[in-house]
Amino acid sequence: MALPNQQTVDYPSFKLVIVGDGGTGKTTFVKRHLTGEFEKKYEPTIGVEVHPLDFFTNCGKIRFYCWDTAGQEKFGGLRDGYYIHGQCAVIMFDVTARLTYKNVPTWHRDLCRVCENIPIVLCGNKVDVKNRQVKAKQVTFHRKKNLQYYEISAKSNYNFEKPFLYLARKLAGDPNLHFVESPALAPPEVQIDMAAQQQHEAELAAAASQPLPDDDDDTFE
Amino acid sequence: MDDLENAILICFESGPVEASLKPQAAAYCQQAKEAPDICRICIQKLWFCGLVQVQFWCLQTLQDVLRVSYGSMTLEERSFVRSSVFSMACLEGVDNNENVVRVVEGPVFVKNKLAQVLVTLIYFEYPLVWSSVFVDFMGHLSKGGVVIDMFCRVLNGLDDELISLDYPRSPEEIAVAARVKDAMRQQCVPQIARAWYDIVSLYRNSDPELSATVLDCMRRFVSWIDINLVANDAFVPLLFELILSEGLADQVRGAAAGCVLAMVAKRMEPHSKLPLLKTLQISRVFGLVSEDADSELVAKVSALVTGYAVEVLECHKRLNSEETKAVSMDLLNEVLPSVFYVMRNCEVDSTFSIVQFLMGYVSTLKGLPALKEKQLLHITQILEVIRIQICYDPMYRNNLDALDKIGLEEEDRMSEFRKDLFVLLRTVGRVAPEVTQHFIRNALANAVESSSERNVEEVEAALSLLYSLGESMTEEAMKSGSGCLSVLIPMLLTTKFPGHSHRLVALVYLENITRYMKFIQENSQYIPNVLGAFLDERGLHHQNVHVSRRAYYLFMRVVKLLKSKLVPFIDRILQNLQDTLSQLTTMNFASRQLSGTEDGSHIFEAIGLIIGLEDVPAEKQSDYLSLLLTPLCQQIEKGLMEAKVARGEDFPVKIANIQFAIVAINALSKGFSERLVTVSRPRIGLMFKQTLDVLLRILVEFPKVEPLRSKVISLIHRMVETLGPSVLPYLPKALEQLLADSEPKEMVGFLVLLNQLICKFSGSLRGILEEVYPVVAYRIFRVIPIDGLTPRTGAVTDEEMRELIELQRTLFTFLHVMATHDLSSVFLAPKSMTYIKPMTLLLLNTSCTHKDITVRKACVQIFIRLIEDWCPKSYTVEKVPGFQDFMIKNFATNCCLFSVLNTSFDFNDANTQGLLNEIITVQKVMYERFGNAFLMHLMSGAFPSANCPQDMAEQYCQKLQGNDIGGLKSYYQSLIKNLRLQQNGNHVFR
Repeated sequence: MALPNQQTVDYPSFKLVIVGDGGTGKTTFVKRHLTGEFEKKYEPTIGVEVHPLDFFTNCGKIRFYCWDTAGQEKFGGLRDGYYIHGQCAVIMFDVTARLTYKNVPTWHRDLCRVCENIPIVLCGNKVDVKNRQVKAKQVTFHRKKNLQYYEISAKSNYNFEKPFLYLARKLAGDPNLHFVESPALAPPEVQIDMAAQQQHEAELAAAASQPLPDDDDDTFE
Repeated sequence: MDDLENAILICFESGPVEASLKPQAAAYCQQAKEAPDICRICIQKLWFCGLVQVQFWCLQTLQDVLRVSYGSMTLEERSFVRSSVFSMACLEGVDNNENVVRVVEGPVFVKNKLAQVLVTLIYFEYPLVWSSVFVDFMGHLSKGGVVIDMFCRVLNGLDDELISLDYPRSPEEIAVAARVKDAMRQQCVPQIARAWYDIVSLYRNSDPELSATVLDCMRRFVSWIDINLVANDAFVPLLFELILSEGLADQVRGAAAGCVLAMVAKRMEPHSKLPLLKTLQISRVFGLVSEDADSELVAKVSALVTGYAVEVLECHKRLNSEETKAVSMDLLNEVLPSVFYVMRNCEVDSTFSIVQFLMGYVSTLKGLPALKEKQLLHITQILEVIRIQICYDPMYRNNLDALDKIGLEEEDRMSEFRKDLFVLLRTVGRVAPEVTQHFIRNALANAVESSSERNVEEVEAALSLLYSLGESMTEEAMKSGSGCLSVLIPMLLTTKFPGHSHRLVALVYLENITRYMKFIQENSQYIPNVLGAFLDERGLHHQNVHVSRRAYYLFMRVVKLLKSKLVPFIDRILQNLQDTLSQLTTMNFASRQLSGTEDGSHIFEAIGLIIGLEDVPAEKQSDYLSLLLTPLCQQIEKGLMEAKVARGEDFPVKIANIQFAIVAINALSKGFSERLVTVSRPRIGLMFKQTLDVLLRILVEFPKVEPLRSKVISLIHRMVETLGPSVLPYLPKALEQLLADSEPKEMVGFLVLLNQLICKFSGSLRGILEEVYPVVAYRIFRVIPIDGLTPRTGAVTDEEMRELIELQRTLFTFLHVMATHDLSSVFLAPKSMTYIKPMTLLLLNTSCTHKDITVRKACVQIFIRLIEDWCPKSYTVEKVPGFQDFMIKNFATNCCLFSVLNTSFDFNDANTQGLLNEIITVQKVMYERFGNAFLMHLMSGAFPSANCPQDMAEQYCQKLQGNDIGGLKSYYQSLIKNLRLQQNGNHVFR
């Protein structure tokens, strides 16, 4: 479908709707791709912003028109009107804020009311933050509704491609489709493994400063 | 097209528009929404404008208006909206106009929005205002699919928006839901159920999609309507007929299965649930699960079968009569094979709930005296299912071996996935240990002989089963080789496994040997096999560095357990390790891939443990040791020379080399006991002492390089334990170097070392401490204020603050250790005297106010020792002028009385009781040492300032002079409680 100020392209394109509570990182997520800068400052999205994101697959180029919707409007604006003709979707929550996960079913319901039977990915964002409130094991909603779940960290680019790859495969009906070339991403703000590594090192250092580190006789069991 | 329609279309962006136009259009729409006659406008457009965007917008607007301002709408307005949207839903026209738009024939999103508007009306009006909505609606169902579909959408909407517990609801919504459900149960649920039945019977062949819609709708209602409306002679046969109709669309069959599952899962008393489960004759559908695994129908039926099994198990657990137990066990036995089948063939996600179910099933077997043949069969099937599920896919074999990105991901995924399955395995292992062990033995044997291309994965899975089982095995069972363990372990040790070059196989193989060492300890004939596994290319010499590094560590653990049993093999071991050791001592650090604990130092610990044994002849022992120590010391010396001239990136590499050698010496020394080194083989002691010289040189050359510093401190800790008092001569120089320019953070490590030294050498350290303490005190009291550091709660503590708090905590331990090891005289040495004041003030403040009660207790204990040491019973001249006065006036009042009076001093807390004991003791000690001077102050100063009645104070002083400590404490406690009551908790600290 045609979009304002965006020229149509001659390769397959899909409307992707991104929903979820305000502040879960929807805008940050889409802005990691190409266009760039990671915004630390939080500015609520008004209405909707559409970002065309291109990916290169073994079957050729595809484009997702990502409809980055506002998570906070109750009345006013088109709200679920933006979902109309959506072909796939991402539901985002924030693993450091439990309420955002509690609201996932509501977002899913509202989405499905407008777009029946579209592929949907559930994304738990901000997994780079140490103080998680929603543990991976507590995330069960996707099982009930047959969604795909990914843990992501928009800040560190962790798993950025995964949701798009899953949706592309579903839309193409080809489980073997893969991306042949990584999209240009903004440089990661934090290195997720490095962070864990640093913590690990800090612990090791602390252990080393103890007198006579205890022999690890029974670390098993 | 009018302006509003235009504006709506622009908002929906159907076509390129000018940038400025959109906000304009949005503003126009918003304005229209606020018009007083907006409902009328919307309804009008819904009847006459066919543009779907306009229809959607009008319905959304209607819903908004209802939600926001229903209360302020006129009755006519409400009635108009109600009758209009109802007419649209039921395919009625308006004003006999034939040309109206049929909203219900529009796209899905419009129909659902219409349903939402109706649900909003029901929310406000049912049953009081609009009681006939459902009954009226049903009157129109005969119009056919379109209206039936709309009816289902309304019911689904009702479930989504109001009833279903899947969404967060406000208390108000919950109340409305209860009202609506009650009214519907009373008024129309039986008719609705009847309608469902009629529609499905009528349309099952002609319109399968519609039938499925109706069934899906019905499924949502089962949880709250009378079960007999659906679990009856009409519905149950119909549903099963649908499920089993081969010609029928999968959609309908799956939807019917969903309805049965809803009935099965409905919350009911178990004594009514069990008969229901029995009458269903669920076995009818078992055949379906083995059809095409990817079909939606199979997924639905699988869910039904497992859901059924879960409910039967629940009944079995909760019903206790013999008869019901038997019935439910029969039903379980009937359904279990299908559950196993489902688990073997289904997608990963549904496995989770099945594992939970199987765990429950196995737990019920736990209580049984003996397992029946059928149950044993089920156990074996469960084990087989576990085995199949934990097998890796061969397509990842290379990734997993190389541990690349994909391999790492797959291994993470699998280890997460295996967790629950292994818990299940161990539960099975406890219920049926013999069966489980036999199963694993067979799995292992089959995997070894298997020629299948999955054999590597099968070996890995079988070994992982064995490893996981070991986690729950008792030491006794392992030692005695209970069950077939005495066959399994030798088999493990003597079998050549296919794929041993694979990282995962090699790792789990070594882990297994280590885990089952208790058996080998008892059966030492297998020691050569164990050594073989570690020393050849299966262990330390494995081609994969991940394996060989892990093998270093595991070998150390093995050595620790076998110790003296290894003496006959020392030559063989050392010979085999020659290359590894020389590699480690000469290899450049950069190529060592240092990673966490697996840096290779464990192999030195292992060797130290072996050659450090007393059973090794003295001559040989020193030969071995020098063989190892000499190159390590050389490495350090060489490293020091190189580091001095190294620049840029080269410097950290050189430092790391030195670091590794220190860690290696440390690890090596762990095997040598103090007795051996100092008493029986002093020559060995000498060799270690020589390394201390090297250490000192490191400190002299690079005192400020933190990694070196911490490794050197660790080694000194180590040498104190190994060399005992003979380390003393080296200490002054070493401590001096360590103390030079140390920052607060480094001071912590330094104090920890001093603490160890004091605990070890007590009085012999006095001289050294007299030199060191003034420097320490000078540094510390410069950064720690005498009223102590207390981070305000909620305030962000930065890194520096945290370091200081850590330092303060270590300081308290240090002072405590000094006081309790008869070293308080150090505080009185000429150079230290000036720090007595800040120290006692800090201790006083801390003992009164510190958040951690145990710290307060330690401070009081320090004071007890100081009084005992500094205030002899019969004194002539005060040892520490002013100390007694300080204790009586400040300490006794503030700590012993006021801090206890504070209501935060919780008598119900065990730690606080410990603190109270010390506070009683210190008063006792003060009385013993200060006598009447102390009592006088209590009577005339402390107690009066707390408004304590004279008689109570007197009684307390009397008890203080007696011998009954228990009575003293309980009296003091009641005295404090009295004072607190009296003061209403408003005491202000002096």
